[in-house]
Amino acid sequence: MGLFMGLRYASRPGGEDARAHPFPSGEWVHDILLAGDPGEPCLSMGGTVSRGELTGLVDNQQRLLEQAGLRPGGTVTVRLPPSVEYIATLLGAWRAGAQVSLLDHRLVSREVDNALDRLAPQVVVTARSVTAAPMAGYARAVAEATGRADGRPAATQHVLIQLSSGSTGPSKIIARTAADLVSELDRYEQLDEYPKRGERVVLLASMVHVLGLVGGLLHSLHAGVRLAFPERLTADGIRDAVAAGAEPTMVLGVPFHAELLAAGGAPLSALSRMVVAGELVRPWLPGAFAARYGVPLGTMYGMTELGVIATDLDGRHHPAVAPAPGMSLRVVDGELQVQMPASPYIGLVDDTRWVDGWLRTRDAAAIDEATGLVTILGRLDSQIAVGGLKVDLTEVEQTLCALPQVDSGVVTYGSVIEAYLVLRAGASAADVESALAERLAPYKRPRDLHVLDAMPRTATGKISRDRSVLRAAAGASPAVEP
Amino acid sequence: MTAAQREPVTRAEVIAVIAELGDRTPQDVTEKIGSLEVAWLVSQLEQRYDTTLELTDEEFEQMGTVTGAVVTLRDLLPGAGHDG
Repeated sequence: MGLFMGLRYASRPGGEDARAHPFPSGEWVHDILLAGDPGEPCLSMGGTVSRGELTGLVDNQQRLLEQAGLRPGGTVTVRLPPSVEYIATLLGAWRAGAQVSLLDHRLVSREVDNALDRLAPQVVVTARSVTAAPMAGYARAVAEATGRADGRPAATQHVLIQLSSGSTGPSKIIARTAADLVSELDRYEQLDEYPKRGERVVLLASMVHVLGLVGGLLHSLHAGVRLAFPERLTADGIRDAVAAGAEPTMVLGVPFHAELLAAGGAPLSALSRMVVAGELVRPWLPGAFAARYGVPLGTMYGMTELGVIATDLDGRHHPAVAPAPGMSLRVVDGELQVQMPASPYIGLVDDTRWVDGWLRTRDAAAIDEATGLVTILGRLDSQIAVGGLKVDLTEVEQTLCALPQVDSGVVTYGSVIEAYLVLRAGASAADVESALAERLAPYKRPRDLHVLDAMPRTATGKISRDRSVLRAAAGASPAVEP
Repeated sequence: MTAAQREPVTRAEVIAVIAELGDRTPQDVTEKIGSLEVAWLVSQLEQRYDTTLELTDEEFEQMGTVTGAVVTLRDLLPGAGHDG
């Protein structure tokens, strides 16, 4: 497709390592994302931002980062809420020739500290101030860049670093090169039903995670698609954002957002389709959505490691998805594997996830040999999704059981995350709740802490994980009045 | 029935609306409610009452439990009084 030709390499100052791993310059940001008619509207976040205005904002953020000490081949961690500032900072850092790691702004400070210990960035960007109404679709933020004396320059050529919710041990560091991102943009461009120039995307998915970042933000900039954000992440707020433009509009979000829209409201003339990813869709949802709006609810399957892998943008194969252009998939022992030429993991090497050119997804799947369509059946490990955000129940349980207030416990997931635990002498459930609030982002925390006198055990003496047994031991649900 | 004639929102109604998300029974709804459930509840009640609920940070915080949500919604919804 020729998109890789925009990537040029610049050497990084100092050391043999630098010569061994020349870091790509940031010119791809202009060539792939920002180039085009400066008057073309590209973002709607409250006001409208044109391509030329965004380029100016990116210039500003690049200068801010360079003043904080960022150099080509350097490293920066960005932790900002969804905002024009976030977009300009990310692009400014890439254009400065830096390796950028992204942290969700909802993480609590202990999670952020752990992440910074792993990532060792030279510069950290956080929000000095944030203005956002509750349930807002975006924020207004003022970014602050701080240099870290013990930060390390990029050791690899990757431009994007994200942390997984690893199901065993610490989270994995997932890395992608600019060429890999461009290759994903190329896949999106080859999907006939994905928005093209002159169309619009209303983005509900987080821009820190791969769906919203590449499928929403980067694709829209690259393809000349106008990217809009709702004032409010409610059903009416999303509908208002769709109705605000006349162009054919795709809504990109997670299944929860489609459930919000499917529950009520009149058809929207600008709506061309909605596409969701991040977790499995309930079986009734595509039909209910199509019946209400007269347009399809499509689905996509992807991973942080690779981006988009397979799609069903018209909803015609549901629940199956078709491999995206260039993706090779196979199922081995019930597990979906995706071909990728190099391991996406850096730092701590996990030699069980990427083996001989195949990424093991940990998703159970079936492939129809006749059509090549893939049906994702669920997780093979303890990872769940809450509103599209991945949560590793093992991490939650290990955090709970490591607390000094907790003797033993298990964490379960039915429709919400719940913990069943036995307290140590003198501790209270409130102590446990506040300790968890210091250690886990809100969406990872157990909704209910059920304190038991003793953990129920199986015949062989193991702590039971059976939810009905645990619920019986804990007594009735507290929300419904007796 | 117009919005102004509506009875104040009840605890049972709030629980029933939350239970619709995820196809749960009212017995499955926990006292503590998460941000997705709050967005769902607000969306549903905005439609039923044909209104827009602009929550302050304090009100949003208060919506984090079923009890708090009932109190907050009784204050905010049109036609609803404080007599519930």
